[in-house]
Amino acid sequence: MSHIVQIQTQVRDPVAIASACERLRLSPPIHRTVQLFSRQETGLAVELPGWRYPVVCQLASGEVRYDNYNGRWGAQAELDRLLQTYAIEKTKLEARRKGHRVTEQSLQDGSVKLVIHVGA
Amino acid sequence: MPIIEVIVSPQGATQVTTRGFAGNSCQAASQSLEAALGLRQAEQLTPEFYQQQATNLAQSQGQR
Repeated sequence: MSHIVQIQTQVRDPVAIASACERLRLSPPIHRTVQLFSRQETGLAVELPGWRYPVVCQLASGEVRYDNYNGRWGAQAELDRLLQTYAIEKTKLEARRKGHRVTEQSLQDGSVKLVIHVGA
Repeated sequence: MPIIEVIVSPQGATQVTTRGFAGNSCQAASQSLEAALGLRQAEQLTPEFYQQQATNLAQSQGQR
């Protein structure tokens, strides 16, 4: 039997966030309290290219808090890229932690396919 | 060899598919990965996968 599961990514692993930042050539994430226009958020802050305020990863809830003023203070594509890279790095970390081999392949629609060879 | 395939969308959502596992072991194999990635939205079982394999096997044996 086989199964397919759809998962909404939650950002909870500081190691995978750091790996994603490194891969995207961003500054390393820093745990701090930041001002997002009218409010403050505390968590692992990541500076995205062209963004006025950092995005704040709240590891306990897996949520990412930000204020990009509907794209005027930062392109959504940059945040999407961070989330995609986080999910890729997290998958690789988990696979390797279990001793599995993993291969990565970029697909034409911009998705990334990871194949985990269980027991390899 | 059993594999777990993970497709990460450009927005960061993931789809986890297991292939080649016997019985229910596919769910156990990918459970920790799914939990590590985030929140399960939907699950679909695909027994057709094994039925397909059985059909292919029967056809290839029939050709001999």
